[in-house]
Amino acid sequence: MDRLTDTLKALIQPLLAIVVGLIIGAIAILIVGGDIVETYTELWRGAFGSFYFTMNTFARATPIILVGLGVALAFRAGFFNMGSEGQMVLGALSAALTALYIPGPGFVKMIAAILAGMIAAGLWSALAGWLDSRFGMNLLITTLLLNYIATLFTGYMVTYPFKDRTGSALQAQTEMIDSSVMFTKLFKGMTVHSGFIIAIVLTILLHLYIKYTSKGYEIRMMGGNPLFASYGGVNRGKLMVLSMFASGAFAGLAGASEVLGTSYRFLDGSLVSANFAWSGIMATLLANSHPIGTAVTSVLLAALQTGGMGMERNTDVPSEISSIIQAVLILFISARITISFIKRKKAGAKDGSAT
Amino acid sequence: MLLEMDSITKTYGSVTANRDVSFNLRKGEVHALIGENGAGKTTLMRILYGMESPTSGHIKIEGKEVSFNDPTDAISHKIGMVHQHFMLFPAFSIAENIVIGREPKKGGFFNRKKAIEETIKLSQQYNIPVDPKQKVADCSLGMQQRVEILKVLYQGAEVIILDEPTGVLTPLEVKELLVSIKQLAAQGKSFIIISHKLSEIMEVSDRITVLRDGVVTGTVNAAETNEEQLSKMMVGRELVKLERSKLQTGKSVLTVNELFVKGDKSKPLLDHVSFSVNEGEIVGIAGISGNGQSELLQAISGLMAIDQGTITLQDQNVTGASVRKIRDSGLAHIPEDRYLWGVSKEATVSDNGIMGHLSSVSNNGILRSKRITSLVQSWVDTFGIKTGSLHTKAQYLSGGNLQKLIVAREIAQQSPFLIAAEPTRGVDVGAMEIIHGELLKRRDEKAAILLVSSELTEIMKLSDRILVMYEGKIVGELDAATATEEQISLLMAGGKAVG
Repeated sequence: MDRLTDTLKALIQPLLAIVVGLIIGAIAILIVGGDIVETYTELWRGAFGSFYFTMNTFARATPIILVGLGVALAFRAGFFNMGSEGQMVLGALSAALTALYIPGPGFVKMIAAILAGMIAAGLWSALAGWLDSRFGMNLLITTLLLNYIATLFTGYMVTYPFKDRTGSALQAQTEMIDSSVMFTKLFKGMTVHSGFIIAIVLTILLHLYIKYTSKGYEIRMMGGNPLFASYGGVNRGKLMVLSMFASGAFAGLAGASEVLGTSYRFLDGSLVSANFAWSGIMATLLANSHPIGTAVTSVLLAALQTGGMGMERNTDVPSEISSIIQAVLILFISARITISFIKRKKAGAKDGSAT
Repeated sequence: MLLEMDSITKTYGSVTANRDVSFNLRKGEVHALIGENGAGKTTLMRILYGMESPTSGHIKIEGKEVSFNDPTDAISHKIGMVHQHFMLFPAFSIAENIVIGREPKKGGFFNRKKAIEETIKLSQQYNIPVDPKQKVADCSLGMQQRVEILKVLYQGAEVIILDEPTGVLTPLEVKELLVSIKQLAAQGKSFIIISHKLSEIMEVSDRITVLRDGVVTGTVNAAETNEEQLSKMMVGRELVKLERSKLQTGKSVLTVNELFVKGDKSKPLLDHVSFSVNEGEIVGIAGISGNGQSELLQAISGLMAIDQGTITLQDQNVTGASVRKIRDSGLAHIPEDRYLWGVSKEATVSDNGIMGHLSSVSNNGILRSKRITSLVQSWVDTFGIKTGSLHTKAQYLSGGNLQKLIVAREIAQQSPFLIAAEPTRGVDVGAMEIIHGELLKRRDEKAAILLVSSELTEIMKLSDRILVMYEGKIVGELDAATATEEQISLLMAGGKAVG
């Protein structure tokens, strides 16, 4: 009973936020002279209107879920990992290069590529955790700044040393990976691939991990009151580096899964412009870092984005309506963070809690 | 008589905070109000400042009866109060903080120039130097206190209440403050000072009123008394010793040698502290809060880095070891501030209960919920912890019940060494009896216990040996069987041991 209400509670807030977003979106639709019912019908159709569109939405949701899970893990421990974007592109590039240049059978290459992506991204993320625990450099700021380094570095790598010289010289991208390394598509002719299954399985595993293991307990306590956790013998620095590593590894997996399942190569800017990382962070914040809530919210956010494209194809309303709805969601998140911040200030921050 | 409080009684439900308290103040007088924690000093002053209304009794100013509904009423009757925790806006300048609420205006707008002039005038009139343009955030605590006093003077106060004014100041700042108080009193201002630092009180006051358990035990002229007499008046009760077995100490369990922690203040936080705690013995550390007790406990339990010295627990050198290592070596710890260190408020009772017990409630890293439930439920039953269920969040438990949970959790460690810091702070009498009983039981079971409490009665009741801390040093060691409360209070206040 408790468990069920817990999960439901994690879902109420994101759903409420999305409803309010839709209402405000409706006002915007009226302003641009569109028909609300028609527009939202098209939005729905574009996201879940047919099996094809639904699977398309799931495909888009895959990296968002994976990033979201990683961020959720770090947030639960009270660590604000804002570096998912950099971790993701670094993971994607590492996966692509491993798939391209490691010899061996396809399956081995695939596993190696996934691991390379996760380890590279995990180390990148753990670096920020180490800088914080060792030198007290603020995690939020270092993770944000490391994003720039990672995206520019990967851009350089595919513009110069690893650029694909075989095809169009205009694209900064790696060569295409061998078909034996690619993730299998779940259904013929559709974009959704085995990465989605991995994401769903990991969602459940992460939920169980946080709730039912000793380490998960330490993570929750560290997030709830770091002083209490330290007093009880939890080593903050170690936990920080480890959970940041795991958090980054999730983002790296998101990048690897995009490379192996969707784009089949690393293309500079493609992951950044699709906004996967920030959508993942948004999903986590909306779902209050609950893994299952994060996955569901990620699908909804992906639906908003795929639906927006469908809406634009079939009505005169621009897809920016989706952006307006997302903006409302961001407002929701900031309001909640601000309120809890004010509450903490008022309480004189009597404990050392982070959220 | 400038101010009279006549037969003030204040009750909260069944608790009487002040009973039939009479207090008066002459013009130009410095009148100190002293007493132990919970003696009713603060309640009395909250009544005078309009923050509480008395259950019965009257307040008269210059012979006329008045009643205050809120501090604004009190301020309009020229009563001002400087709280223990300063109430200033750090982002504003000193002048802005002083005139706040009564800003000089020009054409409906704030006149900053006038505010600065007023501040300079005030500062010169009362000889309290401040820089009006300086931001409060950049001021020392001593300077902030001057600002608070000037603010009260700007509001026209004739009676100034100072609540624990020297608690946060450096010794030099304390001296300056005492000089300022004397000068202002000479100019006709009257002061009420709440404090428990006897030496400062003796230096600055004209008269002293002592409260104990909500009742006035005497008002004396400072010139006709001494610190020992005041201690006696503050404490003055017969002690009822709990039933306890004869002391049978064994080998040393904890040895602290020459512990030194510098800190970022001019005085070290811990100044060459050495002592040991033996099997089957309760060693009590007495002292006024903030004299290094918190730092000592944090250093012993691995939560604070130390600069010099060694700590040995169960024959293992645990100096600089991690909290986990120290706990594994045999430490359990009832922390002094339960909300800061002792619990996670958002987490459930059972989650809070298993901290430190993970290895016994998990298998290969997986938590076993059955074991957790039976463990925590057994504490709930034996300690009578009132909670909705084991899944209730800790924040919904009362302070006393939360404290019982923490005590149960730490005692269940059955560790050879136990730190009990303020184990009964803010708990009711029933919970106190249970907790004291459990501590004595652990003592009988040969555990070594280090008790830290700002309640002298608690120290006297439980300890076998008593150490007194003052300004980061151990200034005295006494045998609990022969020590008197007067001796201890004197040491606590920085005086010399007598007898």
